[in-house]
Amino acid sequence: MQETTPAPRNPTVSEKLRRLIISQEGVLFLIMLASVLFLATRTDKFLTVDNLLQQGRFMTEIGLIAIPMTYIIITGGIDLSVGSILGLAAIVLGWTWQELGFPLELAIITAIISGTVAGFVNGLFIVRVGVPPLIMTLATLALYRGLAEGISEARSARGYPEWFFQLGQGEFLGIPTQLWLLIFAVIIFGIVLARTRLGRALYAIGNNETGARFSGLTVNRHLLFIYTFSGFMSAVAGYIFVSRVSTTRSDMGTGMELDVIAAVVLGGTSIFGGAGSVPGTIIGVVLIQLLKNGLVLAGVTSDATIVVIGSVLIFAILVNNFIQSRRGEG
Amino acid sequence: MRVAKSAPVPRRPIHYVGIILSLVIIGAYFTLPFVIQPERGPSTVAVLTESKKANELGLFKTGLELIPLAALGILLLGVWNVIAPAASRAISLLMSVAGLLVVVYYINFFRDTPLGPPNEWGEGSILGSLDIAFWIMLVAGILAVLQIAIPRALPDERYRITKLFGNQESVILFGLLFLIFIVGIANPRFLQERNISDILQGNAYIAVAALGMTMVIVTGNIDISVGSLVGLLAVISGRLVVAGAPSPIAWLIPLFIGAGIGGFIGFLVAYLRIPSIVVTLGMLSIIKGILIIWTAGERVTDMPADYHLSQMRPLGIPMPIIIMVLLTIVVVLWMRYSATGRAFYALGGNAEAARLSGLSQRRLLMTVFTLNGVFVGIASVMYSTQFQIIQVTPPPALELSIITASVVGGVSILGGTGTAIGSTLATLLLNFIRSAMIFINVSPFWLKAVQGLLILATVLADLIRRRRQRL
Repeated sequence: MQETTPAPRNPTVSEKLRRLIISQEGVLFLIMLASVLFLATRTDKFLTVDNLLQQGRFMTEIGLIAIPMTYIIITGGIDLSVGSILGLAAIVLGWTWQELGFPLELAIITAIISGTVAGFVNGLFIVRVGVPPLIMTLATLALYRGLAEGISEARSARGYPEWFFQLGQGEFLGIPTQLWLLIFAVIIFGIVLARTRLGRALYAIGNNETGARFSGLTVNRHLLFIYTFSGFMSAVAGYIFVSRVSTTRSDMGTGMELDVIAAVVLGGTSIFGGAGSVPGTIIGVVLIQLLKNGLVLAGVTSDATIVVIGSVLIFAILVNNFIQSRRGEG
Repeated sequence: MRVAKSAPVPRRPIHYVGIILSLVIIGAYFTLPFVIQPERGPSTVAVLTESKKANELGLFKTGLELIPLAALGILLLGVWNVIAPAASRAISLLMSVAGLLVVVYYINFFRDTPLGPPNEWGEGSILGSLDIAFWIMLVAGILAVLQIAIPRALPDERYRITKLFGNQESVILFGLLFLIFIVGIANPRFLQERNISDILQGNAYIAVAALGMTMVIVTGNIDISVGSLVGLLAVISGRLVVAGAPSPIAWLIPLFIGAGIGGFIGFLVAYLRIPSIVVTLGMLSIIKGILIIWTAGERVTDMPADYHLSQMRPLGIPMPIIIMVLLTIVVVLWMRYSATGRAFYALGGNAEAARLSGLSQRRLLMTVFTLNGVFVGIASVMYSTQFQIIQVTPPPALELSIITASVVGGVSILGGTGTAIGSTLATLLLNFIRSAMIFINVSPFWLKAVQGLLILATVLADLIRRRRQRL
């Protein structure tokens, strides 16, 4: 029987702080902090600026795709085809450049457009034909990967010019180039989700799609947009991937959809839709990457790290469920 | 004078389909012996017919001559259809049978035909040596079979037809038969018993795992950890028997472990209220990690001879096929007629209503995930006893194959609908497609793309069918 007064107008600082800490993101952030501290005590190679920046490089692709995935899961949908779109975009990049002789700049644009179109096709069938997102993207998971395999015929494209690697391997102001991209994307799309009409509409759709429709929201247009956006971001991630590893192969990004979804869900986005945030997702992405890296540095074999990540995923959701239900009662 | 009991059935273009198709078939048939293709010489069919005529007992022994008879049947039915449009339900059924005869005679005719010389369609394929009249006849025959799917009657009449043929299971079954016919004609080796039996045996374990998945999805949940669980249980089974356990023990233990892991997942979903996709996503990583650490990538070999359950052939039928068929029947009946089976549908259809009717959601979820674990256990034993060695990495993306089979088989991912027979048929369809593409020389690089396209087509066909039925 503490302060059960209905939302005081000016909450005190301590109240604000308490609310922040027991929010989804707050709990997750504390879990992350604890694991970072723990890992730092196990090895001195972990908590160094160089290592952390390097990890930022590795997590950019997953981070970029996780943003639209957050949007999609908030609306109650899912996109399993992101890894395949990444592979398709990478192959289109290498193929148009090496086989069709496009200038590299044009090849990059073509790749990003083809990924965007792939996402648009997903959205179109989901919205117009009414295919459930899980099924549609399950089919295109196979289809897009198949297209990538068919186009590439198992050849890999390599030998890109020097400037091409700037994005994936270079630095800008001492920070890996692609990390800048991720930071900007997180800030912009985080604000879009939390503070704009578009963002609020996504929550409305996720909470009650019919209700949203009757409130005059253009639900179909919103859904079409986010699946297209997902294709676009996957293609951009594909470009970064190619730039980072200096080659294109058709199996790039295989299984990535599960990593992305794990990060989004770990970040507190409800798989049933209606709740979630970009900061939460990014904490999820960072937590997974740091755990992977820290455990390997601490001497755990890299295969064993996935056991830890799986456990953390279930555990974090458990803790969050527990805290959120307590808060709901209190 | 006929007394009109209800409104007369209007005559629509569809009612003329029988006449048109039969005329096409008969017309094409009689041009056959006369077709001369300058670049290839006389029509293959004409040559074959001629040579058989000369060598054997004359006209009615090639089988091909029965085609105009079947076409004549279609013609009569077509005329009847135009005169009495109201009876079209029965007529279209008969017409399909006649069309089937046309197609079957083709198969029959070409089964005994020696393969042609290598041509632009590839080694030993007879596709390239057939002339256009042949294709016209075949397509017309197939259309005569398929015309039954076109609604032409009044809504109440149509309802009975769709109830019989308009469900996802029949669509897949027809798709499967159609595929077998077409690919069998293009490359008769596809129809060899060995090939068919290889496809069935090699994928029966996927069908069994898809049965469990179907139940899980019917309740509105999902399990994406099955792929790695199959791998883990297969290795456990193999290592047990190598360590000296008797084979039956090695077959049974995975079932219990599967049930245990499934029960644990069920517990997390039912009692701790974590969404199943999250739990199984986590379990996927955990199981895969344990598998890799434990086995260190070392495959299991040197199993005793009596361990290979999947290689046994009681009554001459391969064991995996027996298990698949039996389990499918059991699951179909159980889901249809048992209280728990019905409760799964109720839970998936409307969880709140199910709760209010006194069903225990928690107990049902525990049951369904435990059962799923048992099915995964059975599947893993079928997988592990298939070959002389057990690979520690299960086929990649196995969980996706299993989920795809369930979903293509008509299980709504939103829960509440779907049957086990559909998921088994879909497993077969998907794997027949894969094998068929090899037989008709699709470049291996494009296999997956074509497969993805076909999955999409199946899903779309289902949606369109459902929308039609709602009208």
